[in-house]
Amino acid sequence: MRKTDDIIESLVGELKPVPRHALKRRFVLGILPALAVSLVLMLTIAGLRPDLSQALSLPLFWIKSAYNALLAIAAFLAIYHLARPEGSQGRFFAAAAAIFAAMAAAAAIQLLLSPAETYPALILGSSALHCPFLIFAFALPVLAGNAWVLRGAAPTNLRLTGFIAGLAAGAAGAWVYSWFCTENGMPFVLIWYSLGILLTGALGSLLGPRLLRW
Amino acid sequence: MTTAHSEEALKTLMLLSLDGDEAAYRHLLNALRILLVGYYGRRMGAATKADMEDLVQETLLALHSRRSTYDRERPFTAWFFSIARYKLIDHHRGRGGRKLAETELGEDIESDFSEDTVTARMDVERLLGSLPEKQRELIRRVKLEGQSVADTASRTGQSESAVKVGIHRGLKALAEKLRGGA
Repeated sequence: MRKTDDIIESLVGELKPVPRHALKRRFVLGILPALAVSLVLMLTIAGLRPDLSQALSLPLFWIKSAYNALLAIAAFLAIYHLARPEGSQGRFFAAAAAIFAAMAAAAAIQLLLSPAETYPALILGSSALHCPFLIFAFALPVLAGNAWVLRGAAPTNLRLTGFIAGLAAGAAGAWVYSWFCTENGMPFVLIWYSLGILLTGALGSLLGPRLLRW
Repeated sequence: MTTAHSEEALKTLMLLSLDGDEAAYRHLLNALRILLVGYYGRRMGAATKADMEDLVQETLLALHSRRSTYDRERPFTAWFFSIARYKLIDHHRGRGGRKLAETELGEDIESDFSEDTVTARMDVERLLGSLPEKQRELIRRVKLEGQSVADTASRTGQSESAVKVGIHRGLKALAEKLRGGA
């Protein structure tokens, strides 16, 4: 067994200065390239929605985009705090619940304003079955980026950190997917997008205790 | 009150260490080692000394490799004891949770950051600081870290009786200091 004195000396010997924003930099370095990979994957496999130019003028498109983007931002901020040993998730769950509630309100308003015969299109659309799985697939590069970032950090609640890292990746994947998806139903987004995000969250909470241990 | 192990003192050392100051880092690691021995000592009743020494070393290595996760704006001891607690839980988990119950995690979470725990430790260190180096070292090894007299004798290159005498004199001096209300 090495003596503690020797260990201390060797650690002192290999001390290098730590830049002020080292952890922040690691997040940017890990997540932005992963998001780029996911976007390229979407562009090559699926492609942008054919009616994108018209969609850009629809509030519905931007509500869908904002739902995913806001969820992703809230989750990324939470794992940034959880990456420190004394960190907590803060008010992440309250924020996520508020974003979800706002989306639910948008869905309810759209249903109220629409005739009943359009409900199947607004709720199930034409892609309900594969939507969550494509979101899950586009989330995987970001999940890998998150894992790389967090494996170099010091989270102490591994399952929770893995879960929220999965939600962040899922929401980022859903945001990427929303550039391809032609659905304009808010109930559709509320149900099937959220399902894809939760699926990635579940994977994150399974992987967290295994991958993030240090 | 400024003692060797106060939040301010440790944080100052940590900030210097993050800028690459080796002497500060050596001071810091030695101070943290003492805090860890105390922290784990109180929570690993039945553990062997070798086991505890392992854990102390592992924790020092971990905090070295994760030092970029320290936020310079926040308390250092909160960061440090969070790592110590994580390593303790991980240590028990690594052995299949066999001894998890002994760790008394409930109590752990409450008392980790309690002022009392840390200040009690600091008071002892301050008292010890008033002793000659040689006696201080012996008392620390045998009475605080719980090493055997024989071990300490061989590590410090003294006879066992010299170790015993040194500890005896040191404790006597401490007792007088306390009685004198120093």
